[in-house]
Amino acid sequence: MSFYDIILKRIRKIQEKAEEEPITNVTASAMLTAELTLIISVLVAVVMVRLIHPVLMIIMIAAVLVIALMAMPIMPRLRREQNDDLNNMMFYVVVALGIIVALFYWGNLNV
Amino acid sequence: MDTNALIAVMVALPIASALFLNLLDKKDRTIKILAIITAIVIPIIPLLTPYGSHFFGGYVPLAQNATLAQGLPSLITGTQLFQFHPGIMYVFTSAQQLMVFVLGLITFFAIFTFLNETKRPSGVYAFLMFMGTASVSAILLSDDIFNIFVFFEIAALAQVGIIVASGIKNNYETALKYILLGNIAGPLLLLGIVILLGVTGNVNVTDMIFTFKQGYVDPNSPVILMSLALITFGWLYASGLPPFHTIKSAVYSKALPHGAALLQAFSVFTLVAIGIIILRLFSYNPFTNIAIIGISVIAMILGITMAIVQTDYKRILGYLAVGELGYIGIGLGLGTAFGITAGLFQAVNEAIITSFLFIGFGTVLYKTRTSNTRKLGGMMYVNPRVALLVLLAGLAMAGVPPLNAFQSKLMLIQAAIQSGLPELGIIMILLSIVTFMTFMKAFYTIYMRPKPKELEILDNKIPRSTVISLVALLIICIILGLFPQIATNSLQTLAVGLV
Repeated sequence: MSFYDIILKRIRKIQEKAEEEPITNVTASAMLTAELTLIISVLVAVVMVRLIHPVLMIIMIAAVLVIALMAMPIMPRLRREQNDDLNNMMFYVVVALGIIVALFYWGNLNV
Repeated sequence: MDTNALIAVMVALPIASALFLNLLDKKDRTIKILAIITAIVIPIIPLLTPYGSHFFGGYVPLAQNATLAQGLPSLITGTQLFQFHPGIMYVFTSAQQLMVFVLGLITFFAIFTFLNETKRPSGVYAFLMFMGTASVSAILLSDDIFNIFVFFEIAALAQVGIIVASGIKNNYETALKYILLGNIAGPLLLLGIVILLGVTGNVNVTDMIFTFKQGYVDPNSPVILMSLALITFGWLYASGLPPFHTIKSAVYSKALPHGAALLQAFSVFTLVAIGIIILRLFSYNPFTNIAIIGISVIAMILGITMAIVQTDYKRILGYLAVGELGYIGIGLGLGTAFGITAGLFQAVNEAIITSFLFIGFGTVLYKTRTSNTRKLGGMMYVNPRVALLVLLAGLAMAGVPPLNAFQSKLMLIQAAIQSGLPELGIIMILLSIVTFMTFMKAFYTIYMRPKPKELEILDNKIPRSTVISLVALLIICIILGLFPQIATNSLQTLAVGLV
């Protein structure tokens, strides 16, 4: 399978998973733009890990790339997760609280 | 008369007016007159008030009271007691002046639009708008962290009220969710404050910093770190940063356009006010800045990518507003005087531009009663002048010169590069381009594509007051874009003080 076919297959998958509403050119291209923006922004953000260690940065970029390629399309899943359901919101709030407390508390004491 | 009492009037006047408006419900003419007079006076007060402090109840610290300080033993004059602030203190500098003025201006435009777009204006709705403005003004002015918490709660209740009063489908559900999430974040913020009170013995921020600097308390103790984490969590809720970005965007979409314009201004200025408190108290800890930058980058990425895939334009604006909060956070997180000035300038610009967009797109809701972009189209023919104004608002948000956000975003990118983090500059440029694309997608579907046959456009004419508000907001955007020093000179003093 050529590289072009892989991309085409992914785009079709994104179109299928975009939403239950009728798919239009606008929704498909919006979903694709969001997907690319998300991956590129995360990759550029990970470059900042160079301040900790350059080797760690390379490992993390490779890891993010592999995860992104394996998990694509990410945006339909992200959209489903980031919905207005109270249970979902509560879940992420509790997770965020845990991460913040752990980072501030143990991160400061042990780094 | 003590001129500095005007500092308290900035909070007291909207509260008094709000309470009075609440009693006047159903007396339409009186409501209109009182609301418009209050809305005009609110932005004028900060311009007339001299810089300084206001001590509630006249409880000045001993160090500033020459009469009482005379003859005191060194046991008192040589200790923290001499500097201690016994009452609630409000501080008013050039930065607070600019921010309270801009908040007042947005309140004025929101009230002005509301009174003219509504046939029978509700006194209760005006009450909620003024209570919110008073609370956020107090959060910006107060140096007392417990006082800030009290107004944080009042602001949250006012926001819930504004959503409930909108009458938009499913608004009650969103309001209930917002208050339920607030029931987690609010008590945790209070717990963080209580821990600080327990450890330092103070609720005044200046006194707490004095306690840290004098070594009375170890600022790196686990208890203080826990307090920092809890206060940061409360800050995320108040400002709508992740994980609260979803509910915040829902809140904006369930309010009427003038209400949403005001709600986003509340979020922006609360983010700035509590963000400054966090920096003042905890900037000794480099992890604070890293955390603020991390959260801000996540907010930008999530906000803007989620905005692209929405089909409701109010939701698109809601997510874009959350994404733009990330720019402000990055400025604060960089921790340099230039970066913080850029972040504060971005906050001022964002509050103005997002209000501009909400009021502008609100005209579509006024004419069609729908915010679903799938059902919209052809609005350019209905009112081309308003369409042009909305387009200019979108260009301002994306950071197109010579409009105001261009200056603040350019400053932010420069600050990121100067701080040795060019990656942040790249992310900000990339996301600005995507913001522009998202806006253009919404603009095209609403205004430029052919009108769907089933779309019904109402005969009601867009009130002249709405167009006047939009033109006035555009003029402010152009002025701040051409002469950014008007804002940056005012904000710089505060930023330098935080470094």
